[in-house]
Amino acid sequence: MDLSLVVDNVLSPPILFFALGAFAVAVGSDLEIPQPIAKFLSIYLLVAIGLHGGHALSESGVTLPVVASLGAAALLAVVVPVYCFVLLRRRLPLPDAAAIAAAYGSVSAVTFVAATAFLQSSGIPFGGHMVAALALMESPAIVIGVLLLRRSAPAASVRGGLGAILRDACFNGSVVLVVGSLVIGFITGDRGWAEMDPFAHDIFKGMLALFLLDMGLVAARRFRDLRAVGAFLPAFALGVPLVNAALALVLARLLGLGEGDALLLTVLAASASYIAVPAAMRLAVPDANPSYYVSMALAVTFPFNLVVGIPTYLFVIRWWWG
Amino acid sequence: MEAVKKIEIVTDSAELPNVIRALEDLGVSGYTVIRDVEGRGGRGIRSGDGFTDVFKNSYVMTACPADQVAAIVAAVRPMLTRFGGVALVSDCAWVKH
Repeated sequence: MDLSLVVDNVLSPPILFFALGAFAVAVGSDLEIPQPIAKFLSIYLLVAIGLHGGHALSESGVTLPVVASLGAAALLAVVVPVYCFVLLRRRLPLPDAAAIAAAYGSVSAVTFVAATAFLQSSGIPFGGHMVAALALMESPAIVIGVLLLRRSAPAASVRGGLGAILRDACFNGSVVLVVGSLVIGFITGDRGWAEMDPFAHDIFKGMLALFLLDMGLVAARRFRDLRAVGAFLPAFALGVPLVNAALALVLARLLGLGEGDALLLTVLAASASYIAVPAAMRLAVPDANPSYYVSMALAVTFPFNLVVGIPTYLFVIRWWWG
Repeated sequence: MEAVKKIEIVTDSAELPNVIRALEDLGVSGYTVIRDVEGRGGRGIRSGDGFTDVFKNSYVMTACPADQVAAIVAAVRPMLTRFGGVALVSDCAWVKH
């Protein structure tokens, strides 16, 4: 394997800031990003990536490859939580199995954002419609996770009717923000992008670096939670993203996606949600332990994808696509 | 001044809307909420994550006549049992204005 891809990625400022955050926790530093600022940074990233995607989509239009990519994204969003639940229910209480399956069936917007930054640094183009794929993959796993739990254990504690769960899944803050920004970017096109470019593009890398600094702090803290749960969950958190990445790579190859779009589809499939799903699961499946599903997604899967996964998936795409 | 009971509730942030709904259903006319409350309790350290409310608490304070306390406590207790948190009832005086 071409290690230079991994080395270049590891030595990029955003990744080094992530490492700095983890280092600060490891040495017991009092470094802290105030919570409202962390929230603002996450809002900024979602708006910026949505605007960027909408603008790119306004230029490319909705073509057959675009529809095919979105279809592949939707298929992965349905298949992944189902097979994860089947695997997990043998080892864990059903509420935990459902919540973890939902987390791994959904996606991490920040991993996606990091992958787009990696592609931009590498000079590899990608389609704006992949932001729509991100939005499309956020919600189905939440609904599927709850439905699987209800079907497997009708007596299990699931709060609220299907309507409430659908509302939480489809209209949670991150979905509304990404889809809304995508639509705004699409409607306003070149004129809107020219106005927003200094905000949504010029300072993007710096804002991502700041956000990843906080992510490093949080991920390192959450890693402590996992030390008490044995080997299965951390192994799952490392192994399942690789399986999901392989599924996405096969789909991307079958559909003939370009390098950039293939990488983003793979990253989406390999990532796990630690924002939208935990918020929804805490309400819908209160018996599931958030220390499991948040910590797995945030302390194992996210750093793995960020540091090793993204360049490795690109290496495989380049090797396979020739 | 008028003698009233002060009720302070520290609850999981995800449960905050249900706590408020319970208070309103019982006719509580006013309450104060402080979001993003951190601390330590039966579920360990609740430090928050900055971008998800899953590990955060919220603080709710209200005051009511003594005969309303039992109903509020009965409504809140199941939420505390499920999500953790704490509810404190104390005597205090309300400054009428």
